[in-house]
Amino acid sequence: MNRRAFTALVRKDLLLELRGSEVVLGMLTFVVAAFVLFRFGLGGGRPAGGTRAATGMLWVAIVFTAMLGLSRTFAHEREHGIWDGLLAAPVDRALLWLARACSTCLFLMAVQVVALPAFWLFFLQSGPAPDYVVLVAAVALADIGIAALGTLVAGLASAGRAREVLLPVLFLPFAIPLVLGAVSATTGTIPPQTSGLHTVERLGYLALYDTVFVLFGWGLFEFVVED
Amino acid sequence: MPSPDAVACNGLVRRFGERAALDGVDLHLAGGEFVLVTGPNGAGKTTLLRVLATVIRPTAGGVAVAGHELPRAATKARPLIGYVGHASLTYPGLTARENLELYAALYGVPGERIDSALERVGLDDRGRDSVAEFSRGMAQRLAVARAVLHEPSLLLLDEPTAGLDSDGREVLREVLAEPGRTVIVSTHEPPWFEGLATAEVRLAAGRVAA
Repeated sequence: MNRRAFTALVRKDLLLELRGSEVVLGMLTFVVAAFVLFRFGLGGGRPAGGTRAATGMLWVAIVFTAMLGLSRTFAHEREHGIWDGLLAAPVDRALLWLARACSTCLFLMAVQVVALPAFWLFFLQSGPAPDYVVLVAAVALADIGIAALGTLVAGLASAGRAREVLLPVLFLPFAIPLVLGAVSATTGTIPPQTSGLHTVERLGYLALYDTVFVLFGWGLFEFVVED
Repeated sequence: MPSPDAVACNGLVRRFGERAALDGVDLHLAGGEFVLVTGPNGAGKTTLLRVLATVIRPTAGGVAVAGHELPRAATKARPLIGYVGHASLTYPGLTARENLELYAALYGVPGERIDSALERVGLDDRGRDSVAEFSRGMAQRLAVARAVLHEPSLLLLDEPTAGLDSDGREVLREVLAEPGRTVIVSTHEPPWFEGLATAEVRLAAGRVAA
């Protein structure tokens, strides 16, 4: 792998985000607003379905938040015609995908640094504390899956005319198994659901999902961006 | 064994849906040639340059750069090609230097070459300025610096004089006059390239006009 090119591509995404605040700030506002709406919609406090329902809400909100960010994933390249410059460069298209997926994952994690404590404060503060190590592992694995799938799909959608419609239509069906895994893994970090064996199974499921979509992204992105 | 053509197109076809933007282009250029590609809007000039730049794939026919068949050997051809498109292909949110640092990393060029690239196009005092603040002409100069950063042996330019003021045109002329390079320029201003161009290829409806 061309590490210098990879680092330069990720650095470029981070610089653009730091200067423009286009993605992270928008995602953060959206996810916190979603929590507030859930909170008022439920009449305050813990949802009737308990921890499982609460973590379900969390991941639905995160998936929609991620989609908001993904809609801007290749915006610079599209709006300023920069794709031709990247495609003419002697780097593997898979590297372009990997760098963008890493940037997306970092943006998502940055949002979750604020969103997760806010979620706990809104919905689970009265309950027992989660297993933080497993929680971080579960969230990181889910984020990798979202970024891997999302970047591939965003690349595909950005080439089409109706990209605003294409992105959710392509992303959400493939995100269903991820949401199921993420909800299960997150719920498992909160007592009394914690269990060593189940924790490994749940994290293993997310890791398998990640592996599948990392391989898809790595292998298919060339065909997505080159017509 | 004779060295391969710098550019060889044999019956090159590129379709967008049902429409053929290139419809059987035959073109053979030896190394060091300076060729103008002219023709009316929609003749296929930009498509030809984008295929040669490996940005889009040919639909049919053969195309090779320095003997490397496209798209199969595009990875070997890309380091040899510099491409200036309609847009500057740079990020407005980054400075001129940061844009060149990105492309230097993509092309495996030492970072030390960035200063001389900026100087070459007269932007050495604007390297730390955001490209968003650049005029069209300055952005075009940066595009030229980006395209020649890796010292390509084939330079492709799509209407490079558009938006350039007289100083910018002078800079462009100096870069284009550098020897040892094959240059293909798509243009509506052939007279401006007098003294540089060695041949002209006229395209019409996706074919080389007689």
